[in-house]
Amino acid sequence: MSALLEVEGLTKRFSGVTAVKDVSFALAAGEITGVLGPNGAGKTTLFNLLTGFLPSDHGAARFEGRSVLGAAPHTIVNLGIARTFQLCRPFHGMTVRENVVVGCLAPRANVGAGLEQRVSDILEEVGLAHKAAQPVDILPYGDLRRLEIGRALATRPKLLLLDEPFAGLGAGEIEPLVQLIHRLHDTQGLTILIIEHKLREFMQLVSRVIAMDFGEIIAIGEPADIVRHPLVIESYIGKADHGLA
Amino acid sequence: MRTRDWLGAAVLVGLFVVLPPLLHNQYFTGVFIVCAIDAIWAASWNFFSGLTGRENFGQALFIGGGAYTAAFLNGSFGLNPWWSIPGGIAVAVVLGLVVGFPTLRLKGPYFALATLASAAIMQQVAINLWQYTGGSEGIYGLDSLIDSSLGYYYFVLAVMVATVVVLSLIAHSRWGTILRAIKGDETACQAAGINVTVYKIASLALSAAFAGLGGVLFAHYQQAVTPNDFDVFLSISVIIMAYVGGIGSIWGAACGGILLNLMLELLRGMGEYRLWVYYLILMVVLFFMRSGVVAPLWRRLSGDRSA
Amino acid sequence: MLTVLIYGAVTSAILAMLAVGFTLIFGVARILNLAHGAFYALGAYCAYSLTAIFKLPLIVAALVSVALVALFGVAMERVLVRPLRQSSLAVLMITLMVALTMEQALFVVFGSQSKNVPAFINHPVNLYGVSLDGQRLLALAIAVCLIGALWLFIQRTRLGSAILAISQDPEAAQYMGIPANRIFSLVMGLSAALAGAAGVIAGPFLSVRPTMDQTAMITAFSVVIVGGLGSIPGSILAALVIGYSQTFVAFYLNPEWTGTVSLVAILLTLVLRPSGLMGRAVGA
Repeated sequence: MSALLEVEGLTKRFSGVTAVKDVSFALAAGEITGVLGPNGAGKTTLFNLLTGFLPSDHGAARFEGRSVLGAAPHTIVNLGIARTFQLCRPFHGMTVRENVVVGCLAPRANVGAGLEQRVSDILEEVGLAHKAAQPVDILPYGDLRRLEIGRALATRPKLLLLDEPFAGLGAGEIEPLVQLIHRLHDTQGLTILIIEHKLREFMQLVSRVIAMDFGEIIAIGEPADIVRHPLVIESYIGKADHGLA
Repeated sequence: MRTRDWLGAAVLVGLFVVLPPLLHNQYFTGVFIVCAIDAIWAASWNFFSGLTGRENFGQALFIGGGAYTAAFLNGSFGLNPWWSIPGGIAVAVVLGLVVGFPTLRLKGPYFALATLASAAIMQQVAINLWQYTGGSEGIYGLDSLIDSSLGYYYFVLAVMVATVVVLSLIAHSRWGTILRAIKGDETACQAAGINVTVYKIASLALSAAFAGLGGVLFAHYQQAVTPNDFDVFLSISVIIMAYVGGIGSIWGAACGGILLNLMLELLRGMGEYRLWVYYLILMVVLFFMRSGVVAPLWRRLSGDRSA
Repeated sequence: MLTVLIYGAVTSAILAMLAVGFTLIFGVARILNLAHGAFYALGAYCAYSLTAIFKLPLIVAALVSVALVALFGVAMERVLVRPLRQSSLAVLMITLMVALTMEQALFVVFGSQSKNVPAFINHPVNLYGVSLDGQRLLALAIAVCLIGALWLFIQRTRLGSAILAISQDPEAAQYMGIPANRIFSLVMGLSAALAGAAGVIAGPFLSVRPTMDQTAMITAFSVVIVGGLGSIPGSILAALVIGYSQTFVAFYLNPEWTGTVSLVAILLTLVLRPSGLMGRAVGA
């Protein structure tokens, strides 16, 4: 099975600091893969490189054989890669429904006359149908996360990049979100790449883990192996501000 | 739109249709003509800046562009004045594209300053290249489009209504939703697969088109153009009108244009204190009604729960 | 040639005084104060009234004028700007309205004729064989001193550090117990004082009329943009660049085009390098 996403030697420097260093990996279609690493490991930078929000210095990244480096963010979305942000970014001043509508207006979504129905379906899918008319500015954080996923889904992605989807969520909100992600994967055959800190939720979701530290990949393997990997443990315990969950 | 909105609009338009002939005074008809033109300008500004949140401080660039095109086509080249309309709109659109491309990627205050500078530069050019533009005096002797004052008024009124209708339709369409999303969070909009740049440039060009159209109508009303048509005071007046009308509301902006021009007229009795009182009133209004006056007031009075 | 050098320096110095205040309040409070030019005008007119009408000695009038303008700035910030801080457009509009109202008020009270602000030094000074206007040289000296003093204040005092902290991250600064609001008022006062002082010392040789705030505003804008919004060293550097450009254009080309210099500078900067010479990265 040829890889959906192939990354080779991806590198990004910020005046002296190498945020992402020679990163290479491949994602097969239908996988849920995790990206693990302490703060500053370069995980979000990796996402930004893959989705066109940052230009790369070196390396290659191919989605379905097509290079995505150097393309504008909206072009990449229309190739089939959608992402969420570490800190939720809803469209302020608009309702939940309108937020999803915008996603449906991406050329790839190809909605035409069926806009209303598609928006309702997506809201149903992420569990926000009952809040469709609410302005996003009063939404609790857990709902904002669902909304952002819904908006990403609206663009009909093949690959979904989730940046710390569980950050900032209370205990009661995490499990339903895990279920949602599982459901999306099972019913829509989405390939998913998740950045996360919280190991427990990770274990439940992913079948493979890419561990990063200081911009480099230090290990790739199954969740059970990765948590016992000496380099991974060192990357966490070695830092004063972080510990294994 | 709800029924009461239609009713309100009908009453308003009806008033403006009926008032001038009733007043039977050429001066007042002139005032109303300027009101309608201000309304077109304010609506055009609000369409782009009100919806996207990118404050354009140089709307006068497009207004003056349309006006001077009319002056060149009709005044210098002697063409039939009706050619000014497509000509002025075309020039304004080109200006919108030329200014839009390099400046739309700038954040808030920078975009405002870039647009302000563009209009100011054009004003300097109009003054300095006096051999072609008539310098500070400008160009005069333009023909009027319709000789009857009242007739011209009804024409401009019709154009104003058409402007509000067209821009409102677009503002409530998918295009408008995307513009509002750009205001909400431009990065997230890109992440939703929208080509934000194309939308911003297209919207600025459309805003410029209507501003230029207003400029043409104004030029043929004054039957002259001067570098003041590019002035920053004009740009700012347009913003104030749209602000008073309610940011984001096209019809509100149009009303703002009408109201402010009327207020300025009514204050004529104050002689040299006129502008001072005008600005003081505006300052008070702006301070206490931050989302504008007309549109929010209407929503409150007509019992709109969703506002 | 020396004349051009000195005149350029004087122009740059006045520009720097205007620009530094403007960029300071932006850097600290993210406010684009469109009333800044009005502070400049107010300074000049206060100096005029206090000397011509109240017959105060010049030194006293100068100091009182600057104090009055500073107070006005603080009052404006406290009463009009602070309640509207969540909307940058609202702040832009209200400061604009203050500027316009002030301009009209000056028209009404003083009329549109140019006014005469007396100079500290009335006679020309001889420097290296070139006869130069004494007031202009004084203006240069005062500008350098004031800006230098401000710079030292920001770099060396605790209050100055607080100001720097707030301009980097207002929220974090507040968590550290720095009273943001009071700092904003203080900075606005400083900014207004600088602009007012510029009006007082430049009034004698630059035109004093109600519309003087407009030219001041546009030129201040250009300096601040070219230098980078929020950067004081940037403003000083840009003031030199634009001040000398204007002087060269006025002396060797056509005085009419000096206004265009600042406008073109703004546009070029925004298109080529929006963050200016020393500002932070900018772009949607």
